[in-house]
Amino acid sequence: MTAGPVRLNVNGTARVIPDVPGPERLLDTLRWRLKLKGTKEGCRTGDCGACTVLVDGRSCLSCLTLAHEVDGSAVTTIEVGPDELLVARVRAAFEAAGALQCGYCTPGFVMAVAGLLRERGTAAPREELLEGLGGNLCRCTGYAAIVRAVDLLRTEAP
Amino acid sequence: MSGFDLVVPETVEEAIAALQTLGPGEAAPLAGGTDLLLDVDEGRLAPRRIVSLRRLPWRTLDWNGNSLTVGSTLPLRSLEDDPQVRVKYPGLYEAVRNVGSVALRHRATVGGNLVRAAPASDLIPILLALDAEVDLVGPHGDRTVLVDRFVQASRRTDLRPGELVRSVRFPEPRPSDFRWQRVRPANDISQVVVAVAFSPAGRRWRVAVGGVSPRPTLLTEAADALGSGRPDADAIRRAAESASTRALFVTDRRASEEYRRRLVGTLLERTVASVVETKGFPA
Repeated sequence: MTAGPVRLNVNGTARVIPDVPGPERLLDTLRWRLKLKGTKEGCRTGDCGACTVLVDGRSCLSCLTLAHEVDGSAVTTIEVGPDELLVARVRAAFEAAGALQCGYCTPGFVMAVAGLLRERGTAAPREELLEGLGGNLCRCTGYAAIVRAVDLLRTEAP
Repeated sequence: MSGFDLVVPETVEEAIAALQTLGPGEAAPLAGGTDLLLDVDEGRLAPRRIVSLRRLPWRTLDWNGNSLTVGSTLPLRSLEDDPQVRVKYPGLYEAVRNVGSVALRHRATVGGNLVRAAPASDLIPILLALDAEVDLVGPHGDRTVLVDRFVQASRRTDLRPGELVRSVRFPEPRPSDFRWQRVRPANDISQVVVAVAFSPAGRRWRVAVGGVSPRPTLLTEAADALGSGRPDADAIRRAAESASTRALFVTDRRASEEYRRRLVGTLLERTVASVVETKGFPA
């Protein structure tokens, strides 16, 4: 199989993307075939987390994932609408905390936070949530505001 | 980007055939791909065919009593999330949750980590310390080898043409722990990895190091220095000294030989202390 269709549910819409070459990364399928430019290419080596999207609700480095390998999955990107409540809440928290400077890392951070909250819940230990963001880099080093955004989303454990 | 063909077999037999019909190095199995695809992108590997394992029924985690069998394509995050792993194999839990980042662990697998045999693999040392076994399937049948035999050198294993790792088996729960040193806590290659386990049945220690030389290695002299039970401070110091002097250390762009030598001793002392104090060491 040198190329073939990839079926994805992207942000709630079923898409059949024809003729995707085997080596193509999910990142490139999203950005160049679906024109969803919100997902960023940073390092392309899995170091920076800028390309993080959700695949079936779990965070995924789209630069190290072949599009064909997630055939049949649901992919959520930063462009997802307000009906996706968790991502919408994370976006709002980033806005309220002013958790961005140049903004390039922001989509990856937002998706990483949304993925962590979906997996661990908003009552998860603060340390675990912050440790879980270790794979995302902000070259503006605007981490303090990002941590504030996470704190806005946290709820005290019962 | 290289022009490999991606094939996605539905059965183990098809996967073996897809790997076997090409010459050495021309076909590569793909599990999570987080390491393989980097080597392909950077030209260190140029397979004509990549064989995806994603449809094979190996995303499994099975308990047989206390013995744990991990399917080779199970994402590391799923292993980390199993509550029993944390209790029965604490060193494995610590090692797994310190690989890469959360997003990486959603794709990276035990099988991939093992077959890729990176010198600074964060998992191979704990697999060595736990005497893990590798279950292989191939064109000439199934076989099982110890991880210590399977990993031969940097990026080299005992995997034969057409063979695949089906699962990795952990025979016996062990008080165990793991320590790393890296520049960055996440998504970085370790400068030093130390894994330590105590076998309650055999009354003996296992000590393994990684990241310091081309091949992750069991250190038998250091393990013997820890004795057959709870080591005293002197024994721990002797073990650390043995590890620092007897293991092979190299200098590369990540760290100097001297730095690694000193760090292995320090991390070994801390890891043994942690196993004895907090990881269910028998009274």
